[in-house]
Amino acid sequence: MKWHRVKAMLLNNYYITTNSADRLFDILYWPMLDILIWGFMTYFISGISEVNILSFVLGGLLLWVFIWRSSQDFVIYVLENFWSRNIYHLYATPLRDSEMIVSLGIFGVVRSFIAFLVMNIISFALYKFNILSFNLLHAVAFISILLIFAWAIGLIITSFVFRFGTRMQVLAWSVIWIIQPFSCIFYPLSALPAWAAKIAIVLPTTHVFEGLRASLAGYPLSAGSLLYALGFSIAFLIFASWVIVKAIKTARSKGSFAKPE
Amino acid sequence: MDTISVKNLVKTFPAKKGRITAVDNISFNVKKGEFFGLLGVNGAGKSTTTNILSGLMTADSGQVNIFGKDFTKHEEEIKSRSNVATAYYGFNYRLTIMQNLKIYARLYNVKNEKEKINELAEKFAIKRLLNTQMRALSSGETTRAVLTKSLLNDPELLFLDECTVGLDPDMAEVTRDVLKNYNKENQCTVLFTSHYMQEVEDLCHRIAFMNQGKIVRIGTSVELLKELEKQRVTLHFSRNKDKAKKILLRAGIEFTESQGQLDFYIENRKRVIYPILENLIQNKVIFDNIHLEKPTLEDYFIRESRRK
Repeated sequence: MKWHRVKAMLLNNYYITTNSADRLFDILYWPMLDILIWGFMTYFISGISEVNILSFVLGGLLLWVFIWRSSQDFVIYVLENFWSRNIYHLYATPLRDSEMIVSLGIFGVVRSFIAFLVMNIISFALYKFNILSFNLLHAVAFISILLIFAWAIGLIITSFVFRFGTRMQVLAWSVIWIIQPFSCIFYPLSALPAWAAKIAIVLPTTHVFEGLRASLAGYPLSAGSLLYALGFSIAFLIFASWVIVKAIKTARSKGSFAKPE
Repeated sequence: MDTISVKNLVKTFPAKKGRITAVDNISFNVKKGEFFGLLGVNGAGKSTTTNILSGLMTADSGQVNIFGKDFTKHEEEIKSRSNVATAYYGFNYRLTIMQNLKIYARLYNVKNEKEKINELAEKFAIKRLLNTQMRALSSGETTRAVLTKSLLNDPELLFLDECTVGLDPDMAEVTRDVLKNYNKENQCTVLFTSHYMQEVEDLCHRIAFMNQGKIVRIGTSVELLKELEKQRVTLHFSRNKDKAKKILLRAGIEFTESQGQLDFYIENRKRVIYPILENLIQNKVIFDNIHLEKPTLEDYFIRESRRK
């Protein structure tokens, strides 16, 4: 892997972002709306409830942005190159698949952190909630697991785009929202019906958000639960890497880069 | 040494029933510094061949050696020493030409990227457009931006797939000159496809003619044209046309007639016209002008592409 090519692709993604309002909107607009809507609603509920629901919901929202942005950005920046047919020229350069993937991963993390910081500032300004004022080490562990899982999801969706073309782009915006209800972001695992809990318990996100609630309430974290989430996410990332390598191979065989849709 | 060596290359694509063979067991070599043309009708397999050699597509079978190295094993090195241009695909339309070129300069690890971009932009007359977004460019301007990219890394091998489509005649001429000079000065090997026969005749040292996925002929344009059997003769008359018609009929020459002129075909060999003219002159037929039309690559293209 050559670092100058990773930097070139980071520059490519940076220019795409700064030249397009929709890519800038992705980082700030939707997360800000979420913070306002969910924040105001929970602010109201917290007035009539004894549970510290505000910190649970805001904490969940703030961490969710990592999985949301990082997974979606993976696909969207690949799609940008398909839409403009720039992919033809990119794949004629010595750029390696791994270099493109690493640049997408890094860029997604940077965008996630920007969104996270802005949301944290807003939530502090409006609701006096600062997720970093809790256990920073816990936050690092949660964010790391979520990022690894997000990259894996991003890679899988990107594989679909490489394999089947841009008609798969709808997955970029939809897959993450299928995972959300089962991830127990705003409610505990025990609140789910039995059939949904069976799905939720498998997802690493559930273990992270359960851990977040424990941390916010001052309870100790379940090491086993977090280790499971980390192990699952790493295994999924390895599987996703294998899938994308296969998908790129198929795309090259089909001529998807030579004749982008 | 051969820059490109292709042996038994095959590429098929899935179709509704079975598979379509786009490249059918072709073999050819291109020497260092050679401007090599791939000709053929749409769907003949030339773009597929170019795409395989430039690493955009993988072949089903066959061997591709570039710079004496197996493409599959040395893809990264080969790609860093080569480049591609086509009129059909531009860059990211939200970015300016300069931004796009900067990205490619870094992908190819070009030193002094700004100087290099400015120097090439000057050659392709897009310097004033460097800070314009791609989406605001005409198709010709987009092509010139792509051509600028194609020379950023001083390639030793250039794949040019119909890269002059959409250029106005003046810019097409400028582009041909830039490419011709680059090829000459740097001993750069060029694999060139185009539908402009005159362009191919002007630029290419050798030409391979493809039909239905196969290479049917390889040679210089002179060698290919020798294969054409007929050349067209036009005689212009202000009088005596009827007399000339009788003489041609007697000699068994078929002709077509239009106002003030007779057109007929003779063999494409030297001096074949002499006895016909002698016959006319001896019979006191006076013609105002004679026009011999040598067969062109276009005639060759039409003949070969109609061949089953």
